[in-house]
Amino acid sequence: MPAQDQEFIKKLQVTFAMEAQEHVQVISNLLLDLEKSLSPAQEITAIENIYREAHTLKGASRAVDLSSIEKICQAMESVFAAWKRQSASPSRQAFDALHRTLDAIRELLASFTKKSGRPEGPWLAELIHSLDTLQLADTPEISAEAADGAIVKTESAPNIGPASTEPPNFKKEIAREPVFDEAKQSNSAVPETVRISTAKLDSRLLQAEDMLAVKAMATSHVAQLREIASSFEQWGKEWDKLAVDLRVMRRESEAPAATNRSPSRGGVLLHFLDWNVDFVRSLESKLNAAVTKAQQDRIGVGKRVDDLLEDSKKLLMLPFSTIADMFPKIVRDLCSDQGKEADLLIQGSGVAMDKRILEEMKDAMIHILRNCVDHGVEKPNERTRLSKPARAAITIAVRQLNGSKVEIRVSDDGSGVNVENVKKSAVNRGILAASDAQNINDQDAASLIFHSGVSTSPMITEISGRGLGMAIVRAKAEKLGGHVTVESDRNAGTTLRITLPLTLATFRGIVVSAAGQMFVVPTTNIERVLRVKASEIKSVENRETISVNGQAVSLARMEAVLELSPRSAGGDDSMVKPVIVLNSGQQRVAFAVDEVLREEEVLVKPFRKPLARVRNVSGATVLGSGKAVPVLNVADLVKSARKHGLAPTAIVVPKKHMAAPSKKVLVVEDSITSRMLLKGILETANYQVKTAVDGIEAFTALREEKFDLVVSDVEMPRMNGVDLTAKIRADKGLAELPVVLVTALESRQERERGIDVGASAYIIKSSFDQSNLLEVVRRLI
Amino acid sequence: MTEQTTILASANPSEADSAKEILKTRARILARPAKRDDDGQGEILNVIEFRLAQERYAVEQKYVREVHPLRELTPVPCTPGFVLGMINVRGQILPVIDVKKFFDLPETGITDLHMVIIVHTEEMELGILADAVTGVRLVPQALCQPSLPTLTGIRARYLKGVTDQHMVILDVPSILNDPKTIVNEEVEE
Repeated sequence: MPAQDQEFIKKLQVTFAMEAQEHVQVISNLLLDLEKSLSPAQEITAIENIYREAHTLKGASRAVDLSSIEKICQAMESVFAAWKRQSASPSRQAFDALHRTLDAIRELLASFTKKSGRPEGPWLAELIHSLDTLQLADTPEISAEAADGAIVKTESAPNIGPASTEPPNFKKEIAREPVFDEAKQSNSAVPETVRISTAKLDSRLLQAEDMLAVKAMATSHVAQLREIASSFEQWGKEWDKLAVDLRVMRRESEAPAATNRSPSRGGVLLHFLDWNVDFVRSLESKLNAAVTKAQQDRIGVGKRVDDLLEDSKKLLMLPFSTIADMFPKIVRDLCSDQGKEADLLIQGSGVAMDKRILEEMKDAMIHILRNCVDHGVEKPNERTRLSKPARAAITIAVRQLNGSKVEIRVSDDGSGVNVENVKKSAVNRGILAASDAQNINDQDAASLIFHSGVSTSPMITEISGRGLGMAIVRAKAEKLGGHVTVESDRNAGTTLRITLPLTLATFRGIVVSAAGQMFVVPTTNIERVLRVKASEIKSVENRETISVNGQAVSLARMEAVLELSPRSAGGDDSMVKPVIVLNSGQQRVAFAVDEVLREEEVLVKPFRKPLARVRNVSGATVLGSGKAVPVLNVADLVKSARKHGLAPTAIVVPKKHMAAPSKKVLVVEDSITSRMLLKGILETANYQVKTAVDGIEAFTALREEKFDLVVSDVEMPRMNGVDLTAKIRADKGLAELPVVLVTALESRQERERGIDVGASAYIIKSSFDQSNLLEVVRRLI
Repeated sequence: MTEQTTILASANPSEADSAKEILKTRARILARPAKRDDDGQGEILNVIEFRLAQERYAVEQKYVREVHPLRELTPVPCTPGFVLGMINVRGQILPVIDVKKFFDLPETGITDLHMVIIVHTEEMELGILADAVTGVRLVPQALCQPSLPTLTGIRARYLKGVTDQHMVILDVPSILNDPKTIVNEEVEE
């Protein structure tokens, strides 16, 4: 086959894989339905549907040249045909075999889309054989119908060309034609839809989210314009001060004007001033008009951006069933592994939620179901003893609470949470004090299952018991801005309620800085923002605490918890530090930060692989400036702070005898990483550092502020390091300022040029290390 | 085409059949893919070359989504040293790594990281920092030596090869799929 054709078939097969997965899912669901006790009429419909699905799948796989799947479908179809004729009836054994078959199809599909999964092999023939025996299973006597089935079988087994299998299949299709027509007609009432890959929608949503920066930009432009407009007031005042002098001047200049025809010099000046006043006034009114216009535009843009974002989010709302379709199968597999029986009922699977929330919750839901089956559901004989139906019922009910929240309730009629075991486990893990274990009520005790490491199961099974599952559920829910609660009755069952937002909503976050970097903390987790004097920090058992509303709260330093190198800035007892008090669950910890900047509306973008999970950081958000800023994970921070608190050295008490006012260095470097590196090195050595991105910015900074030394790159846009050095040497006020050039250029010529214009030292990047920089700097200042 | 149709129309049925046959054969011959001249050298790698701390590296173009100037880089706390930070590319947050740190290569001097090369596999995307992107090259696979760890200090599995010009071609999938690349850490209690 020519390569292009092969490629085309490959493309078709990928499309087919998507379609096939849907068919497999439908067949799987129907099988699960059939396993429950259905009314005879329901059963007939279900068998009819399942037969049709298998047939469609078979046809589609033939169209894309996948004979392996076609053969399996043929065998499966024969089984369903036998059920339809009632020559064989669904049995437990049949269900097992059919579920295995569906798994096999999934594997085959995976094998040619992702190169994982299981490729074709002899196991296929075995599988088909096991299906073939099924349709004959409960018809030992050779009836006419059974013989019919046998013919179907011989058709499918060997790979005969399509021509020979065509006639019988063809007839069947004609016979079924009316059914298909009906289906088509009912479909035509459905509004028109288009299939678009979610990847495309994802990028659309990202773009819409990016528009939030445009909104923020418009806001800052308005603020800027307003500031300029307000400076006219200043001008007005200055002008008014001149009024008296001007009047005098005017009189003087007009008097001689009568004798001398040509206007005096003062007259020319006055004339210009008059013109100038009018000019400035008209400029002012034009600017005011522009401010008004900009403000209207800002509101207009803001509204449009919000609408666009809101609508884009709706594009990515998927029904809960997108993740729930796999749950019945999971419950079935778990049950059959453990010899338990349970039905899963899903209500409200049509409720639509943000795709990203669904994706995040998928694993959490699987953990919950595992817990249900492993800890909740009892063995059938145990259930009968308790006079419950042998088959347990697990219900997942999804409903929209109000405009923006959705509740997922998972309940089972199993044994409930074993409160005593939970308490014991929690005491062992040090989460609950032994003395409290007596007094705690059952509801609160049950909630302890959300702590990592707490498990009700005395035995760790393969499925659960490590005490992580519920902790993961809580972490996921909280990360998404939701929460989870548990209610449990001994022997009557357990109900988990998870409340989640419908969409990844923007939320309010406080922007703080620590170690010179910005971070966002969700406002909901912030209990208070305080300013604390160093003298108010008490040391209790080697841990620093402050008093919040009369209660001692331990204090951690944000930069230490985030493992950042602290800034050199020292402090004394009178220095005031901003502190934010964060709460997670019942715990609160105060964090000292450098600054609390402002509150902003932010949208968290969870990290994706390779950043699968980062300690203390839950994701990032893009601030109005377009800068990506980490969003902190408060639950982690509180945990980390407790861990750090155990090491008394982690929190450094600011010392009074810190070095004398540190020297100021200006780092000029266009590369952001080098800039950060140089800044970091100098700051750890207790220098105050400011930065500039090129020579022009540096020179402006030098004019505005006094520095003790300049460290500059050579190759930079606009004004390079050599020119900057020359300019500094030429300036009267700056001529003596030491300049260190850092460069990638190694040529002697370049170095000589640097020395020629008056650089004080020259460091070559390729031989750079921090000690030689610091040594050079120390020698110069 | 018109000519052929005329022939078919004018001929009697059996002649038409044989004419059809001839045309089919011809079509088959024409449809055969053109032979390439590079038979002797085997696969040709289409790579993007970049400079990093005076050394030449390259990645295969098929793994490169885009090349971006580095304007802003936000460090992410509590990540391994090779993760230099994250960037915002049209609303998407991408981690950015320093391959020298990733390979634990000794740091000689400081670099002028100005460019981000965004590489991807099916599962993930990240940015690789570079001093400068120097161009697109076609490198015959045959000219690539299997790497000598003593030469580059990089483990062979991360490399596609080293050219005779000392250009180190990185193997993007093996770097991205390396468990070391994935940051997955919980706070221990």
